[in-house]
Amino acid sequence: MRLTYPHMGEVYIAVKSMMDDIGVESIIPAFTTNSTLRLGSSISPEAICLPYKIMLGNYINSIKAGADTIIITGSCGPCRFGYYGPLQMQALEDAGYNDIDIIILDPPREGYGKFLEGLKKVAGKNSRRIIPSFINAYKVCSELDSMNELLYYTRPRAFNKAELRILIHEFKKNITSVKGSAQMLELIRDTKRRINAVDIDESLKPVKIGIIGEIYTIIEPFSNLNTEERLGDMGVEVHRSMTVKDWVQNNVILPATGRKGYKLERKLSKPYLPVLIGGHTQQCIGHAVHYAKTGCDGLIQIYPMTCMPEIVSRSILPQVEKNYNIPILYLIVDEQTGEAGFQTRLEAFVDYVSSSSL
Amino acid sequence: MSVKVGIPRGMYFYKYYPFIQSFLTELGAEIVPSPETTKEILDKGVLYSIDDACLPVKILHGHVYSLKDKVDCILIPRLTSVSKGEYICPKFGGLPEMVKYSVPDLPPVIDTEINLIKNRNSLIKALYKMAFTLKFRNPISINKSINKALKVHKEFKTALHEGNTPDCIIGGIPKRQCKTNARIGLIGHPYLLYDNFASMSLIKKLRERGVEVITPDMLDQHMINELCMELSKRMFWSSGKSLIGSALFVMDNSSFNGMLALTAFGCGVDSLAGEYIEKQARRYYKKPYMVLNIDEHTGDASFNTRIEAFFDLIHMS
Ligand code: SF4
Ligand code: SF4
Repeated sequence: MRLTYPHMGEVYIAVKSMMDDIGVESIIPAFTTNSTLRLGSSISPEAICLPYKIMLGNYINSIKAGADTIIITGSCGPCRFGYYGPLQMQALEDAGYNDIDIIILDPPREGYGKFLEGLKKVAGKNSRRIIPSFINAYKVCSELDSMNELLYYTRPRAFNKAELRILIHEFKKNITSVKGSAQMLELIRDTKRRINAVDIDESLKPVKIGIIGEIYTIIEPFSNLNTEERLGDMGVEVHRSMTVKDWVQNNVILPATGRKGYKLERKLSKPYLPVLIGGHTQQCIGHAVHYAKTGCDGLIQIYPMTCMPEIVSRSILPQVEKNYNIPILYLIVDEQTGEAGFQTRLEAFVDYVSSSSL
Repeated sequence: MSVKVGIPRGMYFYKYYPFIQSFLTELGAEIVPSPETTKEILDKGVLYSIDDACLPVKILHGHVYSLKDKVDCILIPRLTSVSKGEYICPKFGGLPEMVKYSVPDLPPVIDTEINLIKNRNSLIKALYKMAFTLKFRNPISINKSINKALKVHKEFKTALHEGNTPDCIIGGIPKRQCKTNARIGLIGHPYLLYDNFASMSLIKKLRERGVEVITPDMLDQHMINELCMELSKRMFWSSGKSLIGSALFVMDNSSFNGMLALTAFGCGVDSLAGEYIEKQARRYYKKPYMVLNIDEHTGDASFNTRIEAFFDLIHMS
């Protein structure tokens, strides 16, 4: 079995760490580029949401590199994502990629048995190692989150932004060649030390912008045209509302111990949307309120065109905007999103936020 | 004076209007449904909703706008779930909020939640809650109204199963018996199929040509459920399930001469169910199948050309 999985931000690092520890060979899909998207789109229904198309492109790249089994999580709140698997399977078959197996890890909401069963299928005879590898992968995620936070702090303040860019580039190159959680943790910690050593302007008081919206498009930098990095380079301190670690914590770890995830988000979103409707609407609204209360100067909502739950959030957010007097930029991404217009919109927004937060 | 409750003619109007109408009338409220969709209603809807919402949601916004100065309150129930274990679509759950934060100067919105995800009994509770919100507090009369509404709903369903369309039943238009020369399955959400403005009178056009039209609402729910068992993953959206189940029924049934699907631009459920149906149709279905996608800019001319093409296909095969 040669395993692969779709890209979504740092997910590949976490999954690779886990698979290395279990002892299963896994293929990291080639990093997502425009040609990945084109590849995926060519066999996708036109009106499906963006993550579907990009993921499909990732699979094809990996299959060409020798993968024969795809592992994905089942659903994030009842939404189209839950049916990606079966449809993509058919699409791959129709395109002539036969005998590809998809293992869908349904989040434990639908029962832990299924979740573990999926993992056992992957682990084969090494299933004893599942839990320790999972815990180590979680540690990797935590460490990544803390590295990202450091990056969000450093980027706007760094005198030499290119230095940071090179550093991150090297990190990405090296992380794919190290093996297992121990080496990965070591590399992440080392990178953190190097980020810390970058010369920064301590006196700078950057504007703070919170990023909210649909989980895939805020975590996967390709899909949002590297919004975080662009903002950082413009001198903005970024805060991202969802990370891989958060997802695991709220969807796997907390439920495993009999607790409900996303407590803060549910509480804060309640006055605006009292029920769960699918997707991450509550998280989006909840974080918007949280950021507004904790001193962010502006918010950016990112979601794919026609994303159902985020369209609901999008209709509600103007109320948050009014209640807390915090400007919000709405970015809808799809295949046609052009670089030029995008940068201009970000710059105009940052200008606006900076001038109104004085 | 009795309270005037406005009911927008959008979303699940054509599924539950007889039910809610008899429930509220029996309680003593005055019911004001919004008129059929017009260009003006659509334009207002487009103006007062966010750009990338789907067409039906925009139309609903227009209907709410058209009612807002004529009634004491507007009914936009939160239809989280109308059958066990299934949602409809995320937008149904968030509909009251979408409207409240988009259309200005609204009278109070009755947004009682209907959530049958766990069991059907919560319906009774929800109806009590709705009655209380409207200041009807007499349990005897509430019970009576519920029973009346259930009875009316049953009759409505029977009429549907006999091949009537909801817009005709609600409008009191009897079914015309005329000779038909073909029979097709028409797949789509009720708020597209029976909204004559949105669908550009598709059903009427088909009937005028002597085509008998069978829609998902005319089919038996149990049968749809059963047909959907063949899906490799359980469908957790009842809206999508009804599309897929009906399409499978039509494809399996040799008495149909073809199948049409009417989809809304920007509809997530359609994109998914549509893809599944399309794949199945391409593999196994030998008869004409066509998808008509509509948005607020669809022109009559191009639409008619496509329908003509479909007629040609049917009559050739
Ligand atoms: S949340 Fe949005 S992007 Fe994700 S599956 Fe649903 S519609 Fe698609
Ligand atoms: S099912 Fe489709 S058309 Fe209906 S509300 Fe949802 S997205 Fe819109």
